[in-house]
Amino acid sequence: MYLAIREIRFSKARYTLIATIMVLVACLVLFVTGLAQGLAYDNAASIKNMAATHFVLEQHAEHRLTRSQLDQNQFEEAGLIVGIENAEPLGVRVTTVSPSVDSSKIDVTLLAVNPQGWLAPAITEGSPLSDQLIGHVLVDDKLSDVGVKLGTILVDQASGIRWTVNGFVKNESFSHTPAVFLNQQDWLSLQVQTAAHEGNESADHPSYNAIAIKTANENVQKLQAALSHTEVIKKSEAVSAIPGYKEEQGSLMMMIVFLFVISAFVLAVFFYVITLQKTSQFGILKAMGARTAYLVRSVALQVLILSISSLVISVLLVQLFEIVLPSSLPFQLGFTTLAITCLSFVIMSLAGSLFSVWKVARIDALDAIGRTAA
Amino acid sequence: MRNRLELQEITRTFEDGGTQRTILNQLSLEVAEGELVAVMGPSGSGKSTFLSIAGALLEPTSGHVLLDGESIGGKSKQERSEIRLRKIGFIFQSANLIPYLKVEEQLMLVAMLAEMDKAKALKRVRELLDKIGLSHRRKAYPEKLSGGERQRVAIARALMNDPAVLFADEPTASLDAARGLDVVSMIAKQVKDQGASAVMVTHDDRVLQLCDRVLYLENGKLNRQA
Ligand SMILES: Nc1ncnc2c1ncn2[C@@H]1O[C@H](COP(=O)(O)OP(=O)(O)OP(=O)(O)O)[C@@H](O)[C@H]1O
Ligand SMILES: [Mg+2]
Repeated sequence: MYLAIREIRFSKARYTLIATIMVLVACLVLFVTGLAQGLAYDNAASIKNMAATHFVLEQHAEHRLTRSQLDQNQFEEAGLIVGIENAEPLGVRVTTVSPSVDSSKIDVTLLAVNPQGWLAPAITEGSPLSDQLIGHVLVDDKLSDVGVKLGTILVDQASGIRWTVNGFVKNESFSHTPAVFLNQQDWLSLQVQTAAHEGNESADHPSYNAIAIKTANENVQKLQAALSHTEVIKKSEAVSAIPGYKEEQGSLMMMIVFLFVISAFVLAVFFYVITLQKTSQFGILKAMGARTAYLVRSVALQVLILSISSLVISVLLVQLFEIVLPSSLPFQLGFTTLAITCLSFVIMSLAGSLFSVWKVARIDALDAIGRTAA
Repeated sequence: MRNRLELQEITRTFEDGGTQRTILNQLSLEVAEGELVAVMGPSGSGKSTFLSIAGALLEPTSGHVLLDGESIGGKSKQERSEIRLRKIGFIFQSANLIPYLKVEEQLMLVAMLAEMDKAKALKRVRELLDKIGLSHRRKAYPEKLSGGERQRVAIARALMNDPAVLFADEPTASLDAARGLDVVSMIAKQVKDQGASAVMVTHDDRVLQLCDRVLYLENGKLNRQA
């Protein structure tokens, strides 16, 4: 509009300075948001990738997949309720393996899935999981960074079992450790072996950590009622119960919120000071017959121009940044997150200008008369 | 000759620490087309109050203000702002130009606010700038103008909406004698040309010779002499 644009044109230096601050803050907001998303994904990729809507866990497991233990009967019961094709058993175990070629050790998460089921991951290299190939596993391609190749033998430290790497998958991790997928036979023999190691002998039928479920919300009640000593939780609940997930996301979220508040305050102070400076000017404009709504719109428009132009610059900068970033740094900024972040930034900026708007509305046209305007 | 501005028995009181102070007391005034009236009076006599009421900025406690024979009483804030936009022009003491608008934009702003036809507005801007002799400075910002030039632009801006009445509050306060005379003679001339009425509050004796009538505000009333 007439006044808003001409004022920015006239006071270029002033508005450039504030825009620079906004660009820096917006960059930081976008970067931390991308980092938070990247870390979240890195932490929980395998669970997030699963097509499940809910998980059935043992009661008192505090939503933690690794703590829960369910047996074959419970799996079959769940299958009866939601349909056998909508329930998949899942084994999760965090362990340490070492590639047989050297003595280095790697923390990994074993994920036992049904090779024909919908939890089986898509491979990027090698051959897929199958019931027939005993002792063959799929591993996340991050392991190739430490020299793991097709055919490498991994030795499980806890049980002494040896697995052959038969394929690679991409973006599969749990609690920041790369995922290793194995079939149910291998999962069972792992349990037998571990039990033997620990002097137990009761592990002749398989147990799982969870049952992944695909179902509409209304079936959850029924499921919960039918399965005693279990708890049916949403996928997002299972994700945030992954060790470290909540803490990590919480602190990053706090940083983001603070940055938003800071940017709102910087803008608020800037516009408030400018508005105070222009009190007599606003008085004159009002005396001339300019509506308060017109002046308020003018202030809001300036805030919009500033925040949107600094966002455009920041988005470009962050995208450039993403190109030069090393791929090992978890950074992920999807379109939806970007859009939501930008929108919140604009809304926070507008909220920051409310104070000035209130000030402008209160200025009286009478101030223009009988006062030596500064 | 018609009266473009009429004040009928205007009274204004202010609440001041529990006591009522009557600043304007049954004040009446008629200003004809093309007439420039000067209002003088001691500090605190109520000149600014009088101007604010006549200029639709402040409501009187009682009495009526008529612009072109039409009362502006009992109107909402927005309606009064609309009246100021279309029927009234103001010239203030100093610094009353918007610092970030060029001379011609100062005038265009009025046209914009009043939603005037663009071509007509541009024509009027050119006309007015010609009349005040500032056509060559139409792209200048106020900071680059002298005090006298600024007040001339303010006059042109006040006339932009072809007002019924022009109000000036000490328009020469920040100018030296010669510049003051220039500015007031310009106001007098433009008021005659445009057929508007004008009321000017002033402390400046030197410019009185250019006014059609001089009135003194005292004890809440306007008198012919001090
Ligand atoms: N809003 C208000 N509330 C209370 N008293 C007021 C208010 N506005 C003005 N007054 C009083 O009314 C009186 C007249 O004020 P006004 O500003 O009209 O004087 P003036 O003639 O313009 O003076 P000056 O020549 O110094 O500008 C003053 O005594 C002032 O204190
Ligand atoms: Mg005064």
